[in-house]
Amino acid sequence: MLKRIAILLLGLGLIVTMTAAVMAADMGNERKGKYLFRKNCRACHQDGQSAPALNPDSKTQAQWERIFEKKKYEDFECAAEWVKLSDSDKADILAYVHGHAFDSPSPAKCK
Amino acid sequence: MSSSNINRPISRRNFLKWSGAATAAAAVGTGQPKVLHALTAAEGAAKGKDTAEKVFSICGMCLNKCGLIARVEDGVVAKLDPNPKFLKSRGMLCARGNAGIAQLYDPDRLKYPLLRKGKRGEGKWRRVSWEQALDYAAEQMKTIAEKYTRCGMLFSPGSDTQSQFVHRFASVFGSWNVVTHESNCLISRNRAYLDTFGEVPFADVLHSKYIVMAGANRFEALITPDSIDLMTARKNGQKLVVLDPRYTKTAALADEWHPVRPGTDLAFFLALAHVIINEKLYDADYVAEKLSGMEELTAHVQPYTPEWAEKETEIPARHIRRIARELAAAAPASMIYPGRRTSDYVNSTQIRRAMAIVNALLGNWDQPGGLLAARQVGLNSPSLPDAPWYDDNMMERADHGRAHMMFEEEGSFKHMRDAIIEGEPYPVKGWFTYKLNPMQSGANRAKTLKMIEGLDFMVSVDIAMSDTAWMADLVLPAPSYLERLDPISGLQGSAACACVATRVPAVPALFESRPVLWILKELANRLDLGEYFDFDMEWYRKEQLKDLPDAEKALAEDGVYYNPSKLYGIYEGKIYRTKSKKIELHNVRYKEMGLDPIPVYTPPKPIPSDKFRLVLGRNAMFTHCTTNHNRLLNQFMSENTLWIHPDSADRLGIGDGDPVVVKSPVGRESLKAELKPGIRKDTVYMASGWGALSKGLSGVHNTGACVAALMEDYADALSGNMAMHETFVSVARKGAA
Amino acid sequence: MKTQLAMVVDSTLCIDCKGCMAACKVENKVPDGHWRNWIKTDGVDFSMGETFSRMHFQPGNCMHCDVPTCVHACPTGATYKDEKDGVVKVDDRLCIGCGSCIPACPYGARYRHPEKKIVDKCDFCDHRRARGDLPACVITCPTKARAFGDINDPDSDVARMLKDNKTVRVVNRESDTRPNIYYMGATAPLNWPVKAQAPTPIRWWGDWAKQLVWAVVGINALGVLAMLGKQLFVNDPEPGHESDSTDGGKPVETEETDHE
Repeated sequence: MLKRIAILLLGLGLIVTMTAAVMAADMGNERKGKYLFRKNCRACHQDGQSAPALNPDSKTQAQWERIFEKKKYEDFECAAEWVKLSDSDKADILAYVHGHAFDSPSPAKCK
Repeated sequence: MSSSNINRPISRRNFLKWSGAATAAAAVGTGQPKVLHALTAAEGAAKGKDTAEKVFSICGMCLNKCGLIARVEDGVVAKLDPNPKFLKSRGMLCARGNAGIAQLYDPDRLKYPLLRKGKRGEGKWRRVSWEQALDYAAEQMKTIAEKYTRCGMLFSPGSDTQSQFVHRFASVFGSWNVVTHESNCLISRNRAYLDTFGEVPFADVLHSKYIVMAGANRFEALITPDSIDLMTARKNGQKLVVLDPRYTKTAALADEWHPVRPGTDLAFFLALAHVIINEKLYDADYVAEKLSGMEELTAHVQPYTPEWAEKETEIPARHIRRIARELAAAAPASMIYPGRRTSDYVNSTQIRRAMAIVNALLGNWDQPGGLLAARQVGLNSPSLPDAPWYDDNMMERADHGRAHMMFEEEGSFKHMRDAIIEGEPYPVKGWFTYKLNPMQSGANRAKTLKMIEGLDFMVSVDIAMSDTAWMADLVLPAPSYLERLDPISGLQGSAACACVATRVPAVPALFESRPVLWILKELANRLDLGEYFDFDMEWYRKEQLKDLPDAEKALAEDGVYYNPSKLYGIYEGKIYRTKSKKIELHNVRYKEMGLDPIPVYTPPKPIPSDKFRLVLGRNAMFTHCTTNHNRLLNQFMSENTLWIHPDSADRLGIGDGDPVVVKSPVGRESLKAELKPGIRKDTVYMASGWGALSKGLSGVHNTGACVAALMEDYADALSGNMAMHETFVSVARKGAA
Repeated sequence: MKTQLAMVVDSTLCIDCKGCMAACKVENKVPDGHWRNWIKTDGVDFSMGETFSRMHFQPGNCMHCDVPTCVHACPTGATYKDEKDGVVKVDDRLCIGCGSCIPACPYGARYRHPEKKIVDKCDFCDHRRARGDLPACVITCPTKARAFGDINDPDSDVARMLKDNKTVRVVNRESDTRPNIYYMGATAPLNWPVKAQAPTPIRWWGDWAKQLVWAVVGINALGVLAMLGKQLFVNDPEPGHESDSTDGGKPVETEETDHE
């Protein structure tokens, strides 16, 4: 188990070294972020649902950072959903949308 | 035939005469039931009393997906003809397309599930039932997940229409470790264009007036519609300049062939940029409006004069200068062709970045005759349940961090293999392959064997016993594309079309073969993941077409539906998907990451005087290493040869057709020499896919040489793309000291 | 004017992809190692330097000649030029597989079918045309290098192409068989057709062929009689020698000629 944690830390270390130069400091795990984004955001933010479709590549990295930094989600209609998310959840989601933002190295839709 | 059997030809002839219709069925041994799960052409071209059924489909012999019409006579596919209404493939079907029948009725096909009996690669198999096979596979995967986490399974789908389900299965199962064919092919090109224009372009070959093609062989490595459009455009006066160490058929049909010194293309393109900038051959307004980093580029290219480039490339400076001027004069309807297989050097991405930069200077983006952005096709992605989250799992891919900018969906075969052999950062002990043959397509076969040696479990799904399947513990038979109902394909054919195409079975699946979606569903059920695969292909296809109300009718009538979406000017008034929001001559992200923001030339390693550089290349008969054993195609080329220049051969005492031994630091192979004046004296070449280990591939087993066994496994630093032109080999006549 | 099916080939469009050869092979069930059609090449010539050198690829098949030396060589009348369409055909039922016609063709267009024990060759996909389809090689060609039709029909594509372009026919000077494949412009190679060999029966009637004839006569006499009967009663045109004037006095080229 210790070994697994060590490996995990090593993996995380690599992410950080890889991306530290480009990304803001407080980002979580983008894989977890994708899962959380789909679970918490995508139910409403897609075509035919109540909110406008939203994908990582809907915004630039800077735009995503601003949304998460200012923590102004109280103004969003889905503020109630945001409140439910822990800080680490939010960091994970930011890591995901940032990593696949419009101007990221691999822009992507959430599929 | 023995002389005692003198009657046979006569009776055979009469047989043909009086029972001609039965011969097709006899060809496959068993008659096929006359049930077709197919859209049939309502009227077809059925003139007179033609009773054959005609089924629209798309070819699966390579990745192009050309439109075809299968002619089915008494339940047997008798002929594949091109679909004349299929614009992407310009109403044609190549040799491989025609040979699809030989894949369908291949005597070497896998017929039922096989479980390994002897040692790996020994070729001893036991036939098992599907039930046994699936139970066994599921149990092995479960054990691996428990022992090593879910990332202990590696999934490798090939370039196939159903591969998307293997990706889905990997994410539902909980493994980030997916490695596709692309890292042995083109990801360095994708990387370079994404990092210049913000997306990977199509090439408007048809409307281009001037094309420089380097590292691409479009008249042999067929891409539709590019290959065909290239000839049509040539007929209309387009000029084609080819750079290649080999006199390929593309070179042979071009206006100019420059046998460039391998690994120096970057010098050529930097010199083109030098001329275009210093002679102000660009559109200043365009540059100011659309490009970012012109100042940096201008300073950067100053040392890269044509005279300097001549020394590196061995292409005369006067030609370089002239080509730059001619390109600029034809701009924006001129281009550096982006190429496709770009797995060549350790700086493959930077080479393609330089090509992309010249394209940017020509102002050809989103313009007729230039590079095209992706058009809207309009297929819907069916909504499926979200993959579950496993807390007790690894957080990253096993190959993560081994290249600067890898692609999540494709990974890097080279780096993943290294990670698995090293067991770092964590053990990966299971491998699922689907129609992928890295034993033949990935450089350094010995390493692939070593990786397989360390696995606990390996399962391969394929049509025939590829070298990769040959090494597996469990082999599962898949149907060919002519027996499958597949997801709808959305395709862009450069400037020709944005279209939606369908593949439906021309005949039911032969033997016990099962499509990979069925296999994955069965595995999911056994792994308590059934809810994530609770859909069928009919539903999936319907969902895909949800937003295209006219598509279903068009597919039934013509086998193809066209979306009349915008072709040129897609980017008008839009920003680019780059950090600077412009086309990046100078890449801002590279700079932040400490990489060269503009490609810096580094000369290739010098070739030792007693060695040759080994290069790869394609021909029009074989798709990588998958169709070499095809009974029809094999008749065009029954073994590979070593292309060697007559002067080099002479020096080594090698004559045409002599058996030779080729040695590299990682392998040793034998084949026949073919003396070719159309190859550089410092370079040798052989076709891929030969020298197979698998005894299940008659015709290529022990025939010719396996190039993957000779190539060393270097990688492109940026993308993790295998670099397959970095190997030096020695050549000697067999038997000579 | 009589129908004369023909091809006009723009060999400068050929990329040597082998599509036509594969299509023909499947369509006509041509046995392993044999072909009904081909792509010739003039090879590489770097004597003028590498940079601007070019190669030619020249697709072809039976030329369905107006002076078919193969027809003259056939002892049984199995090989004939069909009056309906000008196509040179082999009647499987009459062919005894003697092979006399093989060296009689300057183009090597014929081969002995190893299973059927008869001579086989291109018939412009007779069975496809019967149902209204183009020959397999024509329809499959990526660059559409082969055009096909009746050159005596002034409205056909091929007739128009002949009228509007400079074309050549590839012939051996000593055996100008007046072929019906025309090549646009400067095609290459030109020197490959051989001199047609007239049959010398003794040479071609080897041991096995004699036995074969015995077999034909002895075991399959009924079939032969049936054929004869069919020819008598159905009134098929007598397979055999075709008049040389079917091309309506069109000039015969050994080199390049302008069609006006």
